[in-house]
Amino acid sequence: MSHENTEFAEFFEASWEPCLRAVVASTGSVQLAEDQVAEAFARAWLSWRKVRRHPAPRAWVVRTALNTGALWWRKRRRELPLAGHDAAATSDLDDGLDAGLLTALRHLPGRQREVIALRVFLDLDIDTIAGHLGIAPGTVRAHLSRAVTTLRRELSPSQTMEVD
Amino acid sequence: MYDNDNPDDSAVLSAVHDSISGLPMPSAPHLEAITARGRARRRRRLGGLSMAGAGACAALVAGLAGGPGPAGPAPRHEAPPVHLAAFSVVAGADGTTTLTLYPGQVANPAAVRRALAEHGIPALVTAGRFCRTADQPPPGVGQVVVLPQRPLQAIGRPGPMRAGGPGPMRAGGPGPVVIYGSAIPHGVELSIGYRQDPQNREISFTLIQAGAPLTCTSIPDNGPHGVD
Repeated sequence: MSHENTEFAEFFEASWEPCLRAVVASTGSVQLAEDQVAEAFARAWLSWRKVRRHPAPRAWVVRTALNTGALWWRKRRRELPLAGHDAAATSDLDDGLDAGLLTALRHLPGRQREVIALRVFLDLDIDTIAGHLGIAPGTVRAHLSRAVTTLRRELSPSQTMEVD
Repeated sequence: MYDNDNPDDSAVLSAVHDSISGLPMPSAPHLEAITARGRARRRRRLGGLSMAGAGACAALVAGLAGGPGPAGPAPRHEAPPVHLAAFSVVAGADGTTTLTLYPGQVANPAAVRRALAEHGIPALVTAGRFCRTADQPPPGVGQVVVLPQRPLQAIGRPGPMRAGGPGPMRAGGPGPVVIYGSAIPHGVELSIGYRQDPQNREISFTLIQAGAPLTCTSIPDNGPHGVD
């Protein structure tokens, strides 16, 4: 195995779960997220020479996965006018997750979801997120603040107290 | 944890983090599955580029000659295998595609549909609902689907059981289902329905006319000559 392949294998092994959790938070579906993240890692493997030099390769994977999902949903809406035939697929996270929180996460605007995913699940700082998204740090803070305001309404008092 | 954030915001972010972190996640697929997917993507991309010019010429010639389009969906067997916790879709060397739903998980219908589409199989996939064309279903499901364990099992609706008949086909247990995508006629889709109960792996197949009105029920349609 070449050095680059070994490097990618180590990156894949260490990054699969955090990237998957970040995408699950956005999609609300483990199975859908699993497919999107697998596709994103396949693309990362193809472009590894570029991705390995990225300041936050995991962020590259998460963003690619989210973009893959968005493109797929847009295409699918055109293909399948039969509304609601798979409504049950919208979420498979019924167990162990606050339903209100999940719904609130999924209904955040795309950029806010992206910022939450990168900040919370990849633990990236504001400047790194700003660099990755190509926006000003102040704009990242604004997206984060709006997202938190929305999410706070959905969290029960006990959930927020526990971490104080 | 989020030291640079406002303390109130940090509490919310931590709560979000803890909510998702507590969920069990499926383990990572084999690295080989990822690299195979990448290679297939590269092949598609290169193939698309090299064929673009030739395709445009061929389309122009076909248009001038008034020739018919392809008889059915072209199977795309360069598509990568999909191995997920709940299901897998794998291309066979003989042009078939094998769909396996694993027990203990309910496969996401959208993900199954997408995986099958990547293998050239047009499908309507539903969980908890079994859909068929409101009128007589197109014949030939027995030539498209081979069920696991038991031999071809057509649920005659109406008429006697026969491979290639119009009735839906149903598998009652886990196991790989072999699909002959090239046998699906043009304008027809494969309707696949399965239970939402992760312990009940019953799966039903029927052919439907694309775009035709559908009838969906919560139990598979056995018809007047149903089995099981």
